[in-house]
Amino acid sequence: MARSGATSYQGQARGFLLPSLALVLLVFYLPVLYTFYLSFTKYNGLGTPEFVGLDNFAAMFEDSAFLDAVRNTTIWVVGTLVLPVGLGLLVAVLAYGFRGSGWLRLPFLVPYALSGVAVGVIWSFMLGSGGALTQALQFLDLPGSELRWLQDSPLNTVVMVVAAAWQGVGVNALLFTVGLQSIPKEPLEAARIDGATGWRLFTNMTWPLLRPSTTVVVGLSIVNGLKTFDIVQAMTQGGPARSSETLALTMYRDTFVNSDYGLGSAVAIFLSIVTVGASIIYLRRQLSLSSNSLGGGK
Amino acid sequence: MKARKVMAGAAIVLATALVATACGAGSKDAGATTGELAFAHNKPWNFDAFSKVSKQDIDISLKSTQYSGDPYRAFIRQSFRTKESPGLFTWEVSTALDELAEQGVIAETTDLWTEAVDKGYVTDAVRQLYTVNGKQYCTPISVDDWVMFYNKSVFTKYNLTVPTTWDQLMQVAATLKQHGVTPFWNQTKNFSFVFFQTLLAGTDLQLYNDLSTGKAKYTDPRVVAVMNTWLDLQKKGYFNDPGQTDFARDLMREGKIAMAPEGTWFTADAALAGMTMGKDVDMFVIPPVKPGAATPIAIETAPVCVGESSKQKSLGLKFSQWWMSPQGQEPWVKQQGNMPFNTDAEAPTPEMKTLKTKLATGKYEYYNRYFEATPVPIRTVALEQFSAFLTNRGEPTQYLKAIQAAADEYWAGR
Repeated sequence: MARSGATSYQGQARGFLLPSLALVLLVFYLPVLYTFYLSFTKYNGLGTPEFVGLDNFAAMFEDSAFLDAVRNTTIWVVGTLVLPVGLGLLVAVLAYGFRGSGWLRLPFLVPYALSGVAVGVIWSFMLGSGGALTQALQFLDLPGSELRWLQDSPLNTVVMVVAAAWQGVGVNALLFTVGLQSIPKEPLEAARIDGATGWRLFTNMTWPLLRPSTTVVVGLSIVNGLKTFDIVQAMTQGGPARSSETLALTMYRDTFVNSDYGLGSAVAIFLSIVTVGASIIYLRRQLSLSSNSLGGGK
Repeated sequence: MKARKVMAGAAIVLATALVATACGAGSKDAGATTGELAFAHNKPWNFDAFSKVSKQDIDISLKSTQYSGDPYRAFIRQSFRTKESPGLFTWEVSTALDELAEQGVIAETTDLWTEAVDKGYVTDAVRQLYTVNGKQYCTPISVDDWVMFYNKSVFTKYNLTVPTTWDQLMQVAATLKQHGVTPFWNQTKNFSFVFFQTLLAGTDLQLYNDLSTGKAKYTDPRVVAVMNTWLDLQKKGYFNDPGQTDFARDLMREGKIAMAPEGTWFTADAALAGMTMGKDVDMFVIPPVKPGAATPIAIETAPVCVGESSKQKSLGLKFSQWWMSPQGQEPWVKQQGNMPFNTDAEAPTPEMKTLKTKLATGKYEYYNRYFEATPVPIRTVALEQFSAFLTNRGEPTQYLKAIQAAADEYWAGR
């Protein structure tokens, strides 16, 4: 009796999931397979794709602009980990535990409501040649007004990381705040009684207990850093001369500007492998650490 | 049991949906020559207003969908693989046109062209731009000439007369510079080719044409010399900051730049910026750097094409035929304010009439604008390299080498 009830429930659950699963398969996984297939072909959108084996991948790795894009994407990943995550953590820790702290976090959160393109447009206005920042530095007689923020590489990538950080700090602070709120009070009080304060308390007690939040935030930041597109496209379009291009932009340029679908697909597959690989490695390590730290037996 | 039924039901629904999307209605040209024409484009022009005119004249209205940016090209290409290729869409001439024509996805318009040229609606020179392997495809919306637009008030203020030789143009530029006005407009990215084309075609038009067919190299010492001339003008401070993204029309209105080489479609731009042709802004033919038998003028033409497998093929072709004739051209150029390509059609403004007369009476040689003349993969790299050249204002050889590398790759595959 009970058993058939359970299986019928499972069957119903599967039935309800099926349409969504079909949608995801159709709209997401099938195109990914098709992109994988295209990466081994030469195709310009008309006629039929011509199989060329690994030529696209070879061409990709030999292109110096591609290697620059890899370098820029690495800067983005590192930058996204240091700035939005680091500053997010700082804001969360500093603005925690006292009355009205929610209001302190709010200004950081507002930019997150903007789209990447809107952020790009605003910051282009500030960082463009003769833009607001240059004028302000000149007015205040501070150094740096001769710097061409969006035109010299790798300075342009670094300032764009700052623009993205401006947007990303808020949501990371929010996630860390949630993490801080879920830390049980007892261990912290016990540590304080034992004499741990400030920095020592943070590194030895708070930080390890924050691991679930950290896993989420860092994992998301790695993935977001790797797939950076909209801010760079809105600010420099990867220029000048492809010096601020990231891998997602290389993929866009090859596919939509040059109509070289095979090469664009190869870049897309490369980026996907790197992103999935990084996520797997990171999450595996984090989750194995948590299961160890939560104590021995199962 | 219940679960199995639900799963079976879901599977049937999914299968039906898949089959429905894969098959779809058959696409045969309905043969209609009146009605609503589906029109895909990537232009900033007002087609809704024009649709009212066409509805009155030939009972065809336009249902326009505007797309912007690079994905437009991908969208059009993909549409040929479906049953919904557009009845009418805008495109580009040169290699972009060759690609579609060679694949057989656009309707041939040879008969329309024969009729139009015979009746004197359009010149044979323009027909050449639409010819692939001896046949014609697509029809022109407009054929614009590239001339120098200038802020008339600034010229009047400093008592400057319209230059007719390159030396005079340089004199005007020097005078403007002395008075603290930036003479010329330039911009990185999509317009970074403008002075390359002006200087190169004005120095050696044959070399310019050879570059676009791969017969000459970008690293040719004559091309390097032209780039050095360009660098020289930049060093003299004759250009505004190329990184500025402001529209040329706004910079000109504000007096920040005095002159800008633009297509005759710029009259619509100028109007948007509140400048009146003939009063605030006017135009003159750009004098050649090295005077020869004829003055070179860059032209650009905006084609409309009809999908070969489209359900609205007949409708699209009828509309194209009308648009190419004076009946369609006159209201169009009146709306846009630019020059008609029909030699008989009336130019919409006095300034256009003057230009039209001038071009009809003098010796001019027309060449394809760099943007269209250059195959897309080379053009992408060239625009990036020219932009870097404008940004860094240094020795031009490295940029030319990079463009030539792309050119070598492209022509090797031909």
